[in-house]
Amino acid sequence: MQHMIEITDLKKNFGTLEVLKGIDYSIDKGDVVCIIGPSGSGKSTFLRCLNLLEKPTSGKIVFEGDDLTDKHVDLNQHRQKMGMVFQQFNLFPHMTVMQNLTCAPEMLKKLPHEAAVSRASELLERVALSDKADAYPAQLSGGQKQRVAIVRALCMEPDVMLFDEPTSALDPEMVGEVLDVMKNLASAGMTMVVVTHEMGFAKEVANKVVFLDEGVIVESGSPEDIFDRPQSERLRGFLSKVL
Amino acid sequence: MEAWLSKLYDTFIATGHYKMMLDGLKTTLILTAGALVIGVIIGVIIAVIKYFADDVPFLKPFAVIGDFYVTVIRGIPVVVLLMLFFYVFLVSAHGIVVGIITFGINSGAYMAELIRSGINAVDKGQMEAARSLGMSKIQATRKIILPQAIRYILPAIASEFIALIKETSVAGYVAVVDLTRAGNLVRNNTYDAINPLMIVALTYLILVITLTQLMNALERRLKKNAAHDRNH
Repeated sequence: MQHMIEITDLKKNFGTLEVLKGIDYSIDKGDVVCIIGPSGSGKSTFLRCLNLLEKPTSGKIVFEGDDLTDKHVDLNQHRQKMGMVFQQFNLFPHMTVMQNLTCAPEMLKKLPHEAAVSRASELLERVALSDKADAYPAQLSGGQKQRVAIVRALCMEPDVMLFDEPTSALDPEMVGEVLDVMKNLASAGMTMVVVTHEMGFAKEVANKVVFLDEGVIVESGSPEDIFDRPQSERLRGFLSKVL
Repeated sequence: MEAWLSKLYDTFIATGHYKMMLDGLKTTLILTAGALVIGVIIGVIIAVIKYFADDVPFLKPFAVIGDFYVTVIRGIPVVVLLMLFFYVFLVSAHGIVVGIITFGINSGAYMAELIRSGINAVDKGQMEAARSLGMSKIQATRKIILPQAIRYILPAIASEFIALIKETSVAGYVAVVDLTRAGNLVRNNTYDAINPLMIVALTYLILVITLTQLMNALERRLKKNAAHDRNH
């Protein structure tokens, strides 16, 4: 079977700094992959390479059969199918919640306004934010912003969702509400790649966990493999600090 | 008091010099408005070229030229530029035309920089979010970046406009009779220094205060629009 995303020998340098030193990995439809590792290990860079927000220095990212690093590939077309959620939410502050949700589907998928609104309303209801449709992002709490940001990505009906430390900028009491939305998404069968420090979430929701350190995959496997039977000294050291 | 009023009458009314002052004011306003238009056009063109130069290799040399232009213009006093254009580059053109072009070219360099810094002031995450949804850079710029950047850019353009009004007072160097030059001519003709010069000073002051008020009102409106959208 063809993998949904196949990463081959991915390398990324920032100047002389090697952040990713050759990563091979593949992600299948329905996978929930959690990427863990110490800060500075290259987790976020790895995730951002998947939709080419960071341009890989070398290597291949094949998404649904197309190599995204190929210059002739229509990257914008593929990005529509790869939703992304950021640590800092990055909602569009000059638009209402509803405009945040409908803007891309209307512009890029040529969805009629009514259809875009009704789809957005439905998703907004699922994250219990129907009453915030006309609010501006600044009027929302961090947790609400992040839920809107997740819905914004979902409105494009992506095949995979990328999460870049989605709860790291939140006050502790708001982490739960965002993780709940992500759990629901996972149980609905969404393919997800999540960079996270939430080990509980990784244990409970992920079917694959990747431990990244110093730009290489040190270990990968099922949550049980990683958390209960760590093989390497580095992973054991990391887990002893975070668990 | 009466003596002063009759002095004013002699200096401005009896001799018809008030007309010269009014014409001077008109010329100042024409110079400023013309230069503003040219400045904004040049500024936008350079800012756009530099903005897209990283993505469109074809634009790279133009971006280098733009940088060169900004550096050169910002390093030369505008009155020197004015004389260069009047006596060297545009010898046969009318003084006012030379003035508009020179002040416009000068202002364009500053406009380019303030447009660029206005765009840079928008959080980088905005572009990333827009691109991650599948928007092209142009779509993201138009729909997401510019509506936010305009709040930084418009007030800066308004200040540039105010600075420009005062800057045009050197137009007299190339025989353009603007407000400053008109006042000076009246002084020369009437041997009355204080009244024409004070009126010139007062006129600039009133112009600048009026425009500053307008600018503040504009800024307040932009702020009001922005009040609901501080992201963090």
